[in-house]
Amino acid sequence: MNARLPRVLDEVVSRPTWPGTLPRPIERRNLGVDYDTTWTRAPWARLVRRALVDNVTRPFVAVATSPKVFGREHLDPLEGPVIFAANHSSHLDTSIVLSCLPERFRRRTVVAAAADYFFDRPWKAALWSLALGTIPMERTKVNRRSADLAASLLTDRWNLVIFPEGGRSRDGWGQEFRGGAAYLAKRCDVPVVPVHLRGVRPVFPKGGRRLRRGKVELRFGDPLWPSDATGPSGREEDARRFAARIEESVALLADEAETDWWSARRRAAAGMTPAFRGPDASPWRRAWALPASARRTRSSRSKSSAKPW
Amino acid sequence: MRALLVERLVHRFAAARVAALLTGSGSGIAIGPLRLAEIDPPERPGPLWHRVTPLLAGICGSDLATLDGESSRFFEDIVTFPFVPGHEIVGVVTDGPDAGRRMVVEPVLSCVVRGIEPLCPSCAEGRTGACERIAFGNIRPGLQTGYCADTGGGWSDELVAHEAQLHPVPEDWSDEAAVMVEPAACAIHAALAGQVVPGERVVVLGSGTLGLCTLAALRRHALPSMLLAVAKYRVQRRFAEDFGADDVALPSELGRAVRRVTGTLALASTAGRVHRLAGGADIVFDCVGSARSITEALEVVRPGGRVVLVGMPGVLRVDLAPLWQREIALFGAYAYGTEDVPPGPRSTFALAFELVAETQLERLVSAHYPLERYEEAVRHAASAGRRGSVKVVFDLRRENPAWRRTAAPAARKQRVLRNENKLETSA
Amino acid sequence: MSPRPGFVLEVDRSTPPTLFWHGEGFRFEQLPEGARVVYPPEPLDALSDPEAAVRHALEHPLGDCPPLSALLRAGMRLTIAFDDVSLPLPPMRRPDIRQRVIEAVLDLAAAAGIDDVVLIAALALHRRMTDDELRHALGDRVFDAFAPHGLLLQHDAEDPGALVHLGMTEEGEDVEINRRAAESDLLIYVNINLSAMDGGHKSVATGLASYRSLRHHHNVRTLQHSRSLMDRHHSEMHSSNWRMGRLIKNVGVKIFQIETTLNLDMFPSQFAYLQKREWEWSLADRAGFHASRLALERIPPRLARQIFQSMLAPYGVTSVQAGEVEAVHDVTLENLHRQQLVAVEGQTDILTMGLPYLCPYNVNSIMNPVLVACLGLGYFFNLYRGKPLVRAGGVCIMSHPTPWAFHPVHHPSYIDFFEQVLADTTDLIEIEKTYEQAFATDPWYVHLYRTSYAYHGVHPFYMWYWCGHALEHLGAVIIVGGDRAAVRRMGFKPASTLADALEMAEDVVGPNPTITHLHAPPLLVADVS
Repeated sequence: MNARLPRVLDEVVSRPTWPGTLPRPIERRNLGVDYDTTWTRAPWARLVRRALVDNVTRPFVAVATSPKVFGREHLDPLEGPVIFAANHSSHLDTSIVLSCLPERFRRRTVVAAAADYFFDRPWKAALWSLALGTIPMERTKVNRRSADLAASLLTDRWNLVIFPEGGRSRDGWGQEFRGGAAYLAKRCDVPVVPVHLRGVRPVFPKGGRRLRRGKVELRFGDPLWPSDATGPSGREEDARRFAARIEESVALLADEAETDWWSARRRAAAGMTPAFRGPDASPWRRAWALPASARRTRSSRSKSSAKPW
Repeated sequence: MRALLVERLVHRFAAARVAALLTGSGSGIAIGPLRLAEIDPPERPGPLWHRVTPLLAGICGSDLATLDGESSRFFEDIVTFPFVPGHEIVGVVTDGPDAGRRMVVEPVLSCVVRGIEPLCPSCAEGRTGACERIAFGNIRPGLQTGYCADTGGGWSDELVAHEAQLHPVPEDWSDEAAVMVEPAACAIHAALAGQVVPGERVVVLGSGTLGLCTLAALRRHALPSMLLAVAKYRVQRRFAEDFGADDVALPSELGRAVRRVTGTLALASTAGRVHRLAGGADIVFDCVGSARSITEALEVVRPGGRVVLVGMPGVLRVDLAPLWQREIALFGAYAYGTEDVPPGPRSTFALAFELVAETQLERLVSAHYPLERYEEAVRHAASAGRRGSVKVVFDLRRENPAWRRTAAPAARKQRVLRNENKLETSA
Repeated sequence: MSPRPGFVLEVDRSTPPTLFWHGEGFRFEQLPEGARVVYPPEPLDALSDPEAAVRHALEHPLGDCPPLSALLRAGMRLTIAFDDVSLPLPPMRRPDIRQRVIEAVLDLAAAAGIDDVVLIAALALHRRMTDDELRHALGDRVFDAFAPHGLLLQHDAEDPGALVHLGMTEEGEDVEINRRAAESDLLIYVNINLSAMDGGHKSVATGLASYRSLRHHHNVRTLQHSRSLMDRHHSEMHSSNWRMGRLIKNVGVKIFQIETTLNLDMFPSQFAYLQKREWEWSLADRAGFHASRLALERIPPRLARQIFQSMLAPYGVTSVQAGEVEAVHDVTLENLHRQQLVAVEGQTDILTMGLPYLCPYNVNSIMNPVLVACLGLGYFFNLYRGKPLVRAGGVCIMSHPTPWAFHPVHHPSYIDFFEQVLADTTDLIEIEKTYEQAFATDPWYVHLYRTSYAYHGVHPFYMWYWCGHALEHLGAVIIVGGDRAAVRRMGFKPASTLADALEMAEDVVGPNPTITHLHAPPLLVADVS
């Protein structure tokens, strides 16, 4: 078929070419880390988000994961802005955490999300920042824009949900906690509440194609204040040590989740808490040692031998 | 005299084409451009011409394509209407010194026939099939007897032929053997055009008259290491095995069969049907000439191989990407002329006489029809394979034509043959 | 109620019609008076705690062998080989016994801190297993821990780098097996002994071998002298495997063999009547049977195949033993005979059998005519110890629709074998001499075997050789209800009904022949005296 558009239509639809003799300004793309999320914190946007979270996200999470929440009492004494640092194994984590936060926190919370994954296209950026209140954050190196934005939001009494691992777990065990949360907590003098999610990986793991219903547990831990600890030389501890402290708290919550509070405490006291990052062994042994709550369930039917019927 | 006439009636050609598309080849015969008419016999265009009374005249695939309206418009300039079809002719010369003798007519109307001097370069070399003066000379444009308004054609009671076109038939030959000479010549010319090197692996697509004759010609004039025929119907399979095919495959099994005998890998196979091969046969003779057959030929020939297009094609839609990527040579083979065989050049017709005698090609003539039953004849020819036949001919003999004899003797013989074969395979 | 042993029934006028398997369907046939029917024993009681039995076997091995936990130490190379998808038949319900055994072994390996562990499916020249089939056999936990890291392998008999030649036996037989298995510090083999043919030295010597090794016992002469394949003491094929197995041991490959036996609980509850004696069918059984039979006759073959191939057997484990190969296998055979042996007196003129929809080589696939012949003449004919059930020169009548249909992905070389080789000749020695080499080395079949899910190019030949003993022994083979062209192509005679078949058989064996019907599956071994 050699049909072409009628001439008039063709001239309307085709974009004119820029003359070669004229310099062309560089456009700043409103994507990735540079995406401006201020509009999502406008009153109308917050109303829309609240409606979405209350009527779509929370019921969906309730049906898909039936979450049980432990440790809400640790949040009672807290008023001001809080950083929630959680372990990360699934895309569902954000929705689950938001659904389980008490209302006074939930209505004024932003979530740090990977800029390269959630903000790479305009429609994705708009969707996630409106529906979940995400702000772009660089995974690896610290970006001044995102750090400044997060700090200003915290100062402005916004709560922040962040996943210090930087990405979802690959093999079911945790990854090293990065220093972003610790740095922000120190900079704005804001407490960090460790959060542990158990049983999300079987529901929708990294690389999973189907959602399976399951039972999820969420635990809030003791809040950690950045100015609490002092380092060995008497000076305040630095962000990295604080990050390690946060990771230990999450590991303690994980141990509590698998066994019980008391034996977890005793092991923590003896320094015997099972490693958050799993045993230092070959991949099969790491997989073998995973607790059932972190094992993937049977994956969907792979396109194996072509049956002729 | 009676003659079947093709007239230039565009609407009839179009109707026949639609019918052919909807209900298969040959089905448009009743609404097509062919009709039985009473016309005057053709005048002799010159002193070297003779009158010929046909005895048998064959129906060829190219005739069917013309009647279906499927012929390419390319032929319009080298065909003159109204013409009497029929170019596979054995008849009796009725005037001149050889009056009363049976002759086979070589239909190509080349320079000599057209009275053109000096001969064109092709005719000078003996390649009359490639004559460059096909639309000029004493007679009107027409590539062969059977496509020219001035010469008449085989499907009638009388035609005229130049003495250069006449080849005497040996006394002990049957008429059926003589009528197979022209198709055999086409086949020999095609087989030799392929230039098969000894040891090459050859595939012949299509097992109608042309395919089977090509098979016989290849067996006689070339030394392939492997000769694979593709035949859909049982009668074709029997003849293919008889004429020397090493292996006979069904069309749906072609890819797998070629893969098996060449030991190559396959590039693509869907649900068990192997179709694109990584290697393949060295040369493929396409004796069908449809889009599907050319596509299949390109699928099973090896990179750098040759595909000889023997069957007459029309306007086709074929994906030529394999041709380009695998550097395949696709070339046509038409009619006959002079062939370069050891020890020296010989006319294709002379070789054809030999082939008919050696291989007993008269066995391929399966049905005879009088001119009046031309509609049945064309339908039968169009579905020959399915109906257990190969070549269908018009029988114009006044005494004892075959169609007047009851079918019994010939049919009985065929049945016995089939039983014999069955006993062999079940042992 | 303790399970009843198998027995031989004498058919009289009050005997109800007998159930014949007929591919993906059934037929009721009235056997003539005086015919015998060999019924298999009822399923034995399964072990109540198979996992405990597995752990016990690993800690208390047989033969001169320390417990498994003593053999495992950190830093060693461990390879675990297991039987492929051709066992058990039909596939068993989850958890498969291989899953239980391998999980127990891996628990010990994890405790010992072994990092270098590889699992190998011992396919020999069978097709590779799909991910679903591997998951079914091994369980999700094992699959997810090993497959993503490339530690779950399928034996590749056409990869020269993955094979190692260990030497030749005293009879000049090459022994070439999987390199990783041979060069490990410990090779653990997990076997399921469904029939008396499996297990013992055959597990490693055949399951992990290459064509160069296999052709020494997978050939016409050896198989014609295997009388029978279920009786290793009178089977040339097993003698060869035993020689190879002993060479493997002497060369220094350390094998810890774990063998298991299953009871005959082959059919799920809705098809339980298939295991019951016909005169003991309840009303529900009869209704269920006729409903299935009528439905199966009306639905297209594809759907019928799907239904049957998705059927899982509720097998119970009857024994687990581990340790040294020969010691273990003797105990395994004892347990197997305990379940399957039936005493039969005397041979018969005509042997009839109904062939089911499944053989080891068409799991999740189509049963093509070559496999029908192999199942009937290769397996069922050989279900004997002592003498064949049918006398020399007798007739074997098999009931199967024998469709002219082939699975294009699993059995590509079978199509060419059926169309090219069998069209030329059905004589075993001719076939072996003229065609085997070409098919075994054809690069396309090798490519499909290695990268797709196809049986090796030479496999259809082995199926045909499997019938060697039967073809030598019998006077004629008749297939009831099969595709006529397919049956004739194989050199057998087609018949539409059993009555016609018996008539045709009388031409061969004479008037008033004795008839015995083999009521299998479930499997049995006839101890013929």
